[in-house]
Amino acid sequence: MTAIVEVRDLVREYRMGEERVPALRGVTFTVHQTEYVAIVGPSGCGKSTLLNLLGVIDRPTSGTVHIAGERVDQLGDARATEFRLRRIGFVFQRFYLLQALSARENVELPLAEAGMSSGERRTRALELLEYVGLGRRERHRPSQLSGGEQQRVAIARALANRPALLLADEPTGELDARTGAEMIALFERLNRDGTTVVVVTHDEELARAAKRVIHMRDGTIIDDVRADPADRRVEPVGLAPEPHER
Amino acid sequence: MLATLAIASLIRHRTRTVLAILGVAVSAAMLLDMVMLSSGMRESFRGLLLSQGFQLRLSPRGTLPFDTEATIRGADSLLAVVRARPDVVAASPVLGGQLHFPTQGATVTASALGIEPAVQGDYELVAGRQPGAADEIVANDATLRAIGHVLGDTVHAAAGYDPQLRTYSGERTLRIVGRVRFIYLALDQRAVALPIATLRAMNGPTSADRISLAMVKLRPGADVERERAELHALLPRVTVTSTAQALEQVDQRLSYFRQLAVILGSVSLVVGFLLVTTLVTVSVNERIGEIAVMRAIGVHRWRIVGQILLESSALMLIAAPLGLGLGLATARWLDGILASFPGLPERIDFFLFQPRAAWTALGLLVVSGILAGIYPSWRSASLPIAVTLRQDAVG
Amino acid sequence: MILRLAPLLLLAVALSAAPAQETRSITIDSRLAADAHLRVGDRVVVAAATGEVGDTVVVAAITQRRADPAEIARGEYRVRLHLGQLQSLLGYGDRVDRFAIATRSAGVTGDAVSRINAAAFGFRAHRSSDVAVETSKTFAVVSRFHRAIGTITIVASAIFLLCIMLLKVDERRRDVAALRLIGCSERTIVGSVVLEAAAIAVLGSLFGVVVGGTASFLVNRHYQAVYRTPLRFSIVTGDIVLLAVALALVLGIVAGWLAARRLVRTPPLALFGR
Repeated sequence: MTAIVEVRDLVREYRMGEERVPALRGVTFTVHQTEYVAIVGPSGCGKSTLLNLLGVIDRPTSGTVHIAGERVDQLGDARATEFRLRRIGFVFQRFYLLQALSARENVELPLAEAGMSSGERRTRALELLEYVGLGRRERHRPSQLSGGEQQRVAIARALANRPALLLADEPTGELDARTGAEMIALFERLNRDGTTVVVVTHDEELARAAKRVIHMRDGTIIDDVRADPADRRVEPVGLAPEPHER
Repeated sequence: MLATLAIASLIRHRTRTVLAILGVAVSAAMLLDMVMLSSGMRESFRGLLLSQGFQLRLSPRGTLPFDTEATIRGADSLLAVVRARPDVVAASPVLGGQLHFPTQGATVTASALGIEPAVQGDYELVAGRQPGAADEIVANDATLRAIGHVLGDTVHAAAGYDPQLRTYSGERTLRIVGRVRFIYLALDQRAVALPIATLRAMNGPTSADRISLAMVKLRPGADVERERAELHALLPRVTVTSTAQALEQVDQRLSYFRQLAVILGSVSLVVGFLLVTTLVTVSVNERIGEIAVMRAIGVHRWRIVGQILLESSALMLIAAPLGLGLGLATARWLDGILASFPGLPERIDFFLFQPRAAWTALGLLVVSGILAGIYPSWRSASLPIAVTLRQDAVG
Repeated sequence: MILRLAPLLLLAVALSAAPAQETRSITIDSRLAADAHLRVGDRVVVAAATGEVGDTVVVAAITQRRADPAEIARGEYRVRLHLGQLQSLLGYGDRVDRFAIATRSAGVTGDAVSRINAAAFGFRAHRSSDVAVETSKTFAVVSRFHRAIGTITIVASAIFLLCIMLLKVDERRRDVAALRLIGCSERTIVGSVVLEAAAIAVLGSLFGVVVGGTASFLVNRHYQAVYRTPLRFSIVTGDIVLLAVALALVLGIVAGWLAARRLVRTPPLALFGR
C-alpha cells in the first residue's frame, strides 16, 4: 500500500523564555493510503503538535515529514500554502467557519483559491454539502447552524480540493454525544469512500471507530495498535444516501 | 470570492463601518477644503486681473496699484509713450479720488475713479450706458442706495475737500447714466466713475495731468514680461507690474492662508491614514483566528492581504464622494466668512474648486488609506498558524 | 509724531566725503538696516523723489518694528525724521497728517475727545480704541475663520474619537463578556470603560498640549522670520489649555460611554460568538 504520511525522528521544541520545552521527542511512523488513524493521549502529550506538523501549518525543530511522497517539513511559505490547499484537508475542533459567509461560500473558499470558476465551484460545493447532509442549508450562515452542522460544513470545506490526507483536531470536542456520534459515522464513511483520515482525539468512541490507534505520552509514541474490524460500530444517522442508493 | 468576503465583513460590523466612513469622509472634506484654499485665492485673483484683458499695470514708482495715495505726473506724455508701443492695444488711465454727495442731513462720500470710458477696465455695465459727456457719471448700487438716487437722476457732487476751510475745490451737477458693478472693489464699497477730465477739473490743479494707475492691454501673443521690462526701463517714474508679479505679491501677502492650507491638509491626510490603520488593525486583530484558518486551508498570504485591502478600499471609495460633498459645503461656509474681509473685491474666492487638484487630493487620500491597511494585514497574515490557532482557542 | 512718508522717499547711501554741515539725524527700522546694509553712524541722503538734491543725514539709531499685524506682508521701510525736515523735504509746509495725544488718565479721554471736536476746525479727534476696532476688522475676519476651522476640527475629532473608542472597546468584547458572566454589573463595566476613556482623553490632551505648544513655538519662529516682525502669531494660553483638556475629556467620556453601552447591551454569550 502507498504511504501517504512518512514521519522520521520528528522533534518539535518551543521556547518559553529561557527554557526549551519539547513537545515532540523524536516521533517516527507511517500512514498508508485509506488508513483511518486516531492519535490519542493525555493533554500536553504532543498529539496536536504532531497534527499541525502533518498539516504543514508548523515546522519541526528536526526530523522529516513526507506527505504523498513530497517532503514538507522545510517548505517555504508559498509552497506550503499551496500544498495545504491542494493536498491536505484540515478540520478544527472549533470549526473556524467564516462568519460573514454562508455555508456554501465557506465550502467554495478553497475552491476559489484553487482557481476554479464560479459555476464549477458552486456545483462542487453543493455536492459536498449534500454529501455531508446539509444540501438544504447552503444559504445559512454559521450563526444559524448548530455545532454539528457547522462541523459538517467544515468537513465539506476540508474535502473541497480532494485532498490526499484529511486531518482532524478534536472534531467532536465541541459537540454533544449524539452529534458526536453523527460525526464519527461521517468520518467512517469518508474513510470507506477512500479518504485517508488522521484524527487527534480524547473521544473514546471516535478512537474506537478508527482502524489504528497511536498512543502518545510526553511527546513520544508509546503504542501503535491496529484495531480489530469486529470491534467497530457504525451508526449512520442523518446522512445523504450514497449515490448508488438514490 | 474575496470581494464577497470583504463586503460581507463590512456589512457585518455596520456601526463600525459607518463611523469609519464618516471619519474618512471628514478627513477627505478637510483635505479638499485645504486644496481649494491653497490655490483658490491665487487663481481667483488671476481671473480677476485678467477679466478685462489688461496684462500690465503702471503705478507710481515703488508702489503697487492703489496701495498709496501717490499719483503719476506727466500722465498725458506717459500714456502717449505707452500707446505708441507696437504691442500695446489699449492703455486705460485711472485717477483715484473721492466725490461727496450732499443729501438730506448728511454728506455721502464715495470713491471716485476718473476713467476714459472707451478703454476703461474697472467696471461692468449693469444698466444704462457709459458716460459720454463731461457731466455724466456711473455709480454702483451701494452709492445709489446711499444717496437715494436712481439711474437717470441728476446729482450734485463735490471734490477736493479742504478740512481747514471746509470748502470744495470743485462742484458739479452730474447725471447718472449708468448702473455698474466695480470689478476690483468690495460689493458694499460706495464708488462712482466719471470722465477723467471731469474729475481732474473738480480736484483742481493738484490733479492736473496726473493719474493713479494705468492699465495696459497687449495684443494676443505678445511677450508680456519683455514688454513689462522695457516699459519699466523706459519710464523711470513708474513701476510696471505684470499679472504674474501681481500674483506673486498676493502670494506673499496671503502666504499665511496657503501655508495654513498645507499644514491642515497634511494633518487631514495623516489623520485619515491613522484612522484607517487603526480600523484595519482592530478588524484583523478580531479575526486573527479566522485569518489563521484561511492560511491553514491554503489561502495565500497575499490573497488575505488583498481581501483586507479590498475592505479598506471599499471604505475609502464610499467615503471619498461623501467627503467631496461635505468639503464643498464647508468650503462655501468658510468662503463666506473670508469674503467679509474689508475691501475685498466681490469676485475673489478663497476656496476655488479645481477638478484636477480636487481629484488628486482625494485620490491621494484613497491611496493612503489603502496603503494604511497593508502593514496590519500583512502582519496578521504572517503570524505562525499553529500558535495563532492555539491562542485563539485559548483566548 | 510720525508722518506717513510719501512713497517716493528714497534713501541713497552717500559717500563719507559728503560735506559735514549741520547734519541732522534719523532713525531707520531694522529691516531697512539689514536690506541696505546700514549701521548707526552711516551718512545717507534723503530726498522726496529720485533726482532731487535732498538732505544728508546720519543714522542715529536702528529701531525694532512693533508687533503690528497691519504691517504683516507689507514690504515697507520705516524711517523717522525731525518733523520740520520732513515737511521741508516734502514741501508740506506747516501741515501734519495726524496728532497722537496721551491723556492723563483713561477716564478723561472721552471728555478730551468731545472738547477737541467741539473746537476742531478741519479735523476730528478719535479714540485710539475706536480706530483700532475699525482697522482690525481684517483680523476679526481671520479670527472668525480660525474659529470655524477649530469647530470643524472639533467635530472631526469627535467622530474620530468615537470611531476609535468603539473599535478599541469592541476589541475587548470577550473580557466584557467574561466580566458579565462572573457577575459584574453593567454599571461597573461601563464605569471602568468610561474611566479608562477619560484617562486616555486627559493624557492624550496633555500630550496634545505639548505638541500644540511646540507647534505654536515653531509657527512663531517661522512667521517672525518670514515677515520679519516681532509679532506673535500663535499663543497658547492657560484658558486654551483648559478648554482643550475639558473638551477632550467630555468627548472621551461620551465616546467611551456610548461604546460601552453598546457592548453591555449585547448578551454575554453573543459576545463570545455563540
